[in-house]
Amino acid sequence: MKGHKDNREFIAALEKTGDAVRIRQEVDWDMEAGAIVRRVCETKAPAPVMEKIKDYPGFRFMGAPLASYRRLAVSLGMDPRTRLPQIAEEYLKRTNSAPIAPVLVKKKDAPVKQNILLGDDADLCKLPAPLVHEGDGGRYIGTWHAVITKDPETESVNWGMYRQMMFDSKTMSGAVFPFSDLGKIFYEKYAPRGVAMPFATVIGPPPLAAVAACAPSPIPEPELTGMLMGEPIELVKCETCDLEVPAHAEIVIEGVILPDVRVEEGPFGEYTGYRTSPRENRITFYVKAITYRNDPIMTISNMGVPTDEGQLLRSFSLGLELDKLLRSQGIPITGVYMPPDSTHHVMIVGVKPRYSGIAQQIGQLAFGSKLGPWFHMVIVVDDTIDIYNWNEVFHALCTRCHPANDIHIHKNSVGTALNPYASAHERRYSMGSKVVFDCLWPPDWDPVNEVPTLVSFRTVYPKEIQEKVLANWSAYGFPAET
Amino acid sequence: MNLWEVYVNSLADLPQDVELTLSIRTLNEGKYKYTYSRVAAKVSPDLDRYPDRLQVRFGRGQLSDKKFSIEILGEKQIVPEKYAWGEADIEFLARSM
Ligand SMILES: Cc1cc2nc3c(=O)[nH]c(=O)nc-3n(C[C@H](O)[C@H](O)[C@H](O)COP(=O)(O)O)c2cc1C
Ligand SMILES: [Mn+2]
Repeated sequence: MKGHKDNREFIAALEKTGDAVRIRQEVDWDMEAGAIVRRVCETKAPAPVMEKIKDYPGFRFMGAPLASYRRLAVSLGMDPRTRLPQIAEEYLKRTNSAPIAPVLVKKKDAPVKQNILLGDDADLCKLPAPLVHEGDGGRYIGTWHAVITKDPETESVNWGMYRQMMFDSKTMSGAVFPFSDLGKIFYEKYAPRGVAMPFATVIGPPPLAAVAACAPSPIPEPELTGMLMGEPIELVKCETCDLEVPAHAEIVIEGVILPDVRVEEGPFGEYTGYRTSPRENRITFYVKAITYRNDPIMTISNMGVPTDEGQLLRSFSLGLELDKLLRSQGIPITGVYMPPDSTHHVMIVGVKPRYSGIAQQIGQLAFGSKLGPWFHMVIVVDDTIDIYNWNEVFHALCTRCHPANDIHIHKNSVGTALNPYASAHERRYSMGSKVVFDCLWPPDWDPVNEVPTLVSFRTVYPKEIQEKVLANWSAYGFPAET
Repeated sequence: MNLWEVYVNSLADLPQDVELTLSIRTLNEGKYKYTYSRVAAKVSPDLDRYPDRLQVRFGRGQLSDKKFSIEILGEKQIVPEKYAWGEADIEFLARSM
């Protein structure tokens, strides 16, 4: 299978499966577009492609590109009806395969170079950055994008999705957390040396490049994109710095992150379903060039109450990256699932409970890993529970988790500025707390005399009786089951 | 008359008739709507005192029902000159042609 090389191919595929809608009437970038995308997320509607934007002839929007498992399946070249466990299996298969390095193409072969604005001409107000929600601290240019940077010593490249607000025609501010890959390099290797850090923001990246940019994987994102696509991604050199960007991206903004200037960023509607993180002086991006395709399509993610792609996709990749991590440590897990409606705060881990303390071991690995800042609850259940079935998980939580013995609180952990439950002080300093809910039967209980028996149709009737009842179900007079 | 907006934590951040440094954004319609300037300005709850109008939001985006008038005394440069487009950029372009 080959991945969609750009959003145009992706949109065409989504239209075929009924997962995109083209809006031909004019839409205002000032809140109307945001409101459409928000309602799409809350009603689980198809992705909107807006063909005509007020004040910006020629520009287009695509909203909520990956806010459903159907669209995620299509982005991976799969049938939109594929069930989540199969999509997950495919992601694991591809991301466990050999890395696929990107290839460099000439500028003349890169559609993103069709229009080039340099220096004073590179004015952010020439792009239809939307005011996504009323009351937001600014128009957000980067909501479904990748910020590309390089480590000056190792030359290793990072693509990360870190939100970017337009401050004025030439500057953007961003919420780059200190524990993110970009944050670590900037605060360690640029800011203290007073050196400006080149960046390139890619808006409307190919769909699987966006997946890679928000996946918490240790594999460098250009290679990860190739693995997800099943072929190398084509990159092209930047105009003003020594970075490379996807040749089939819609829009690229190039410039430098200033080591000694901070402008205000936020507030902004966030994936938790609130506006939580404080307005603060944050990392500041100064713009030197803008390049874009003809009829460019700006991508918009609108974060708020479920379900947006921040929740859906991050839950998907956080869960599966934890799956890989736990298996790499030899933990006998059966799977990991993070429900998007938890706003990526709750990990459900299925395990074969072979020894004592296994739930705590899982919690410690999860919270202690690179994934840890982004969630704070781990629910550990045994292999009789279907981790994808919330009714079963909730039943286990409500019945097997001893309030005094099985809830393990981890204090003084890494948190994020976005946690609605955290105090203002905790948010400012990324301070977090975590909790493990151990829903396993204690390993020292006698399985015959101490472990309760689950009372369900499946578990307390002989097979013959179950089959007889099922076979006679309509004959008894019950309506047919779907 | 221009319409501006500012974010504050509390209305006490807007004492009247003294010179303040504020990041304000324009609410005038068009492509530049919502872009910020960092300015020296005076404000007043008396709407007739200064030429422009200022509305206020709090830290989580809530709109205040108090309105102010504002006079902009001068604009402050945010990005130092050394970062502006210049010879180094032109040389880089020439080299990569
Ligand atoms: C829509 C969206 C917006 C995000 N915004 C931010 C952000 O502003 N700051 C941040 O540090 N992470 C943000 N994230 C999470 C990062 O994309 C995620 O942690 C990613 O794995 C970053 O990669 P890194 O490990 O290379 O830093 C966002 C994710 C999504 C889906
Ligand atoms: Mn990274």
